[in-house]
Amino acid sequence: MSRSSSGLPTRRRFLRGLLAGSAVSVALPPLLSLSGRSDARAATDAFPRRFGLFFWGNGILPERWVPEQEGPGFALSDQLAPLADVAPHLALLTGFQVKVPNRVAHGSGPAGLLSGMPAVDLGDNRITFAGPSLDQVLADAIGRDTRYRSLEVAVQPGGQGRSYRGPNLPNPAESDPATLFERLFGPSFRAPGEDGVVDPRLALRRSVLDAVLQDAAELSPRLGSEDRVRLEQHLDGVRELEVRIARLAEDPPQLDACVRPDPPAAVPDVDGRPQMSEHARVMADLSVMALACDQTRVLSYWFSDPLNDVLFPGTTAGHHQLTHDEPGDQPQVHEIVLEGMQALAYLLGRLRDVPEGDATLLDHCAVLATTDVSYGRTHQLDEFPLIVAGSAGGRLRTGFHHRSASSDNAGRVPLTLLRALDVPAADWGVDDAWTDKGLGELEA
Amino acid sequence: MSARSSTLASLLALAACTPETAAPVDELAPAEAWGEATPAPAALRRLTAAQYAAALHDLFGDDVVVPAATGPDLPLAGLVAAGSSVASYAPRAVESLESAAFSVADQVVSDPARRARILACDPATPPDAACRTETLRRVGRRAWRRPLTPSQLGRLTAVSDQAAEALGDPWQGLAFGLAALLQSPNLLYRTEVGTPDGGLRRFDDHELASRLSFLLWNTGPDEVLLDAAEAGELRTREGRLAQAERLLDDPRARAGLRAIFEDAWGLGGLDDLRKDPTLFEHAHPELGPDAREETLRLVEHLVLDADTDIRTVLSTRQTFLNPRLAALYGLPAPDPEGWRLVDLPASSGRRGLLGQAAFLALNAHAVSSSATLRGKAIRVRLLCDEIPNPPVNVDTSIPEPSGTTRTLRDRVAEHLTNPTCAACHELTDPLGLGLEQFDGIGRWRTTDQGAVIDPSGDVDGTPFRDAAELATVLAEHPDVPRCMARTVVRYARGTLETAGDEPWLGVLEDRFAVHDHRVRPLLLELVASPLFTVAGEVP
Repeated sequence: MSRSSSGLPTRRRFLRGLLAGSAVSVALPPLLSLSGRSDARAATDAFPRRFGLFFWGNGILPERWVPEQEGPGFALSDQLAPLADVAPHLALLTGFQVKVPNRVAHGSGPAGLLSGMPAVDLGDNRITFAGPSLDQVLADAIGRDTRYRSLEVAVQPGGQGRSYRGPNLPNPAESDPATLFERLFGPSFRAPGEDGVVDPRLALRRSVLDAVLQDAAELSPRLGSEDRVRLEQHLDGVRELEVRIARLAEDPPQLDACVRPDPPAAVPDVDGRPQMSEHARVMADLSVMALACDQTRVLSYWFSDPLNDVLFPGTTAGHHQLTHDEPGDQPQVHEIVLEGMQALAYLLGRLRDVPEGDATLLDHCAVLATTDVSYGRTHQLDEFPLIVAGSAGGRLRTGFHHRSASSDNAGRVPLTLLRALDVPAADWGVDDAWTDKGLGELEA
Repeated sequence: MSARSSTLASLLALAACTPETAAPVDELAPAEAWGEATPAPAALRRLTAAQYAAALHDLFGDDVVVPAATGPDLPLAGLVAAGSSVASYAPRAVESLESAAFSVADQVVSDPARRARILACDPATPPDAACRTETLRRVGRRAWRRPLTPSQLGRLTAVSDQAAEALGDPWQGLAFGLAALLQSPNLLYRTEVGTPDGGLRRFDDHELASRLSFLLWNTGPDEVLLDAAEAGELRTREGRLAQAERLLDDPRARAGLRAIFEDAWGLGGLDDLRKDPTLFEHAHPELGPDAREETLRLVEHLVLDADTDIRTVLSTRQTFLNPRLAALYGLPAPDPEGWRLVDLPASSGRRGLLGQAAFLALNAHAVSSSATLRGKAIRVRLLCDEIPNPPVNVDTSIPEPSGTTRTLRDRVAEHLTNPTCAACHELTDPLGLGLEQFDGIGRWRTTDQGAVIDPSGDVDGTPFRDAAELATVLAEHPDVPRCMARTVVRYARGTLETAGDEPWLGVLEDRFAVHDHRVRPLLLELVASPLFTVAGEVP
């Protein structure tokens, strides 16, 4: 593959395109992340490594989740059966526990696993993470070379996901296919090989953002320390947008698998119920193409939110209510878990179907699939569902089931993924959720 | 809206709606009544989604389409106003705010009528540099709620000139200047942080103007209020009250009042209302918006038109209905169609807020009612009680209906007999069971699974026989007005109260009672009080 000889977009072209040759001088804000960006890539093969999070809400039924066999080539359990087609690309991890105090049902689990810290209770069944979520830690490390530092997508209509930049700073997910398409593949997108005249407005937009940053710099000294932090978080987003606008003036990377997709069809409700499976496929197709086009290297894909009460087709109550009130062995809850696993299988299958050199896009990914509780009925944090898919460019082992005999710290999995994606993390989590040990079974 | 039509509209509103009973200023608590307190600190407040839209409509006219761009509002302790003091703008919002700014700016400069509203020179002629600067100066004062400093204006001018020259289009120059104004933190945050003054922070003239207009209009100040601020009028109690009375008499007070009660009662959740239409014949996509409209129209009517005891909102048989809600309530469609104020029949079991679809459907499940959610909402939203999170690691399921346990009262009996559950559920379920004659979207019923529903119970020892009596008992509950006064203070200040606030909160609650629990004088007392003019020192 070639993405110019160095694998980099050309800044020369970007400068040439400025202002259509006008003599006006525009102060160029410094492009922080454009400098030194070749270092990370030089160390690997030509294809970047990506991170994906697949999340579904309200847990599983542990007795039907955990396979009987361990080791390679294990037989899938009832609830994992939809993953048969991609099983060689999976590492199934069972018997782990999210080791934070379980104080907020459906909040403690995701906060504990994905931030390593206990959830902060905001009252009225709402929480915030106390720090950045795993996807955002990774976005800081591997998201700087792409148009979007990270991409958050929801299947559940109105789903928000649980991606956090920091406390009280959620990254809400996009659940509308048309809006997602417009963001990713709207008029400003150029597929590889498509020539484009650089719009002089791009540079002017950056000088607008520069003025915004200066307004903020004048405001900041009047503020208390907490407000300054909040404002600074906002400004991080402004600086990110400056970089993103600069990227639009660059040539797109020459990735063979990247083609401009067709706009998605709307997925209307049927009988007041969202068509989750169909919606999941539409959002997966767009997400996978975003990765294939290297528009982002960090995807979080929220099939359904923690505590969601989605009325799935064919069920007699909302999902959350069913997890608590459906009697017996909860056949409806089981069907909903299967729907989630089918959506995961579809996403992984699409990643696997994208060739990248001698391998596939899935091979260049590390995907973590998880949820907010194990057994939804009692909000347990032990026997926590954890699936890792893809090998992160040969860094991760797949095709086996590893069971912890001692309710090991689930935080070892995020730590392993960070390291597999070249983040030199010494440790992960706080207090009982703290660990400095990766999971050897997972490391290739 | 032009200044002229806006004045006309307010005159009409005055003639139609202003009650005779408005409290004259001399009936309000004198300044010395407030004494000493240690108020909570104030914080930078992010604009809510509604405030952002309203602010841009104020600047450019109601016909401008303002895209949703702020990202979702984040409630803290159930209040968006409080969450706005801890939230910021995520990168996704920054991106949306940029496209919204250019979308709005382009709508303005590409339309002669809209240009004419803001242009500081002949709108038929492309604006030269001086005209653009003067236009940005004027719009900027409104948009940022205070005059621009020379360096602020200089930056906007530079952006505007640069764009005009590079694109060869003076209108685009203006658009880029406006886009910079609209993305500035000076617009996107309410920067009411005060100035250190003897261990407290005192709000300056422009901060007071902003606090007044956001409290009473849910948007930024108009020119008159900014002029009053710059004349130093808001520093005096009388000056603030004069402006507050003017704002309350303006039609925009309706949006302000709606925002207070929408937040206080969590009605934003009605946007995402999901009910199973195969179970509820009257469920439809407009149910949530209809239900909110009913509740907020009733609040508007009681506060701004009738200026009556707000506790009436719990006990009244009056409500506002459109044909869809009338069908849900089993009543004939109002004639003519549209929203009408109606008296529910005396035989109706519905009384006030707790008989409205907004409360009943919001605090219920997708397929059924919920005694726990409804009872919790009464406790938290109306009585300001604290209900702990449900326990984790406990099976909270309730049994399916069976031959012996058919009604919800039978099915949740475990909640009240098991000591682990009862500690909280005895606070919530007995109140919620009083509303069991309303199903999951608020339709009346007398039986559930074929068994007769028993809607009786008690509120902290005072018995009620049914929902109508529950409403009456709650309307007399001493915590209801206390909670309302506190909620209005939380809303106005964007913070939760601390122990140091108690002396002033106590005075405000007393004054609310003196004014027969009317919201208009409550708001005036608040505006006149130190709760409104100072805050604690920031850590």
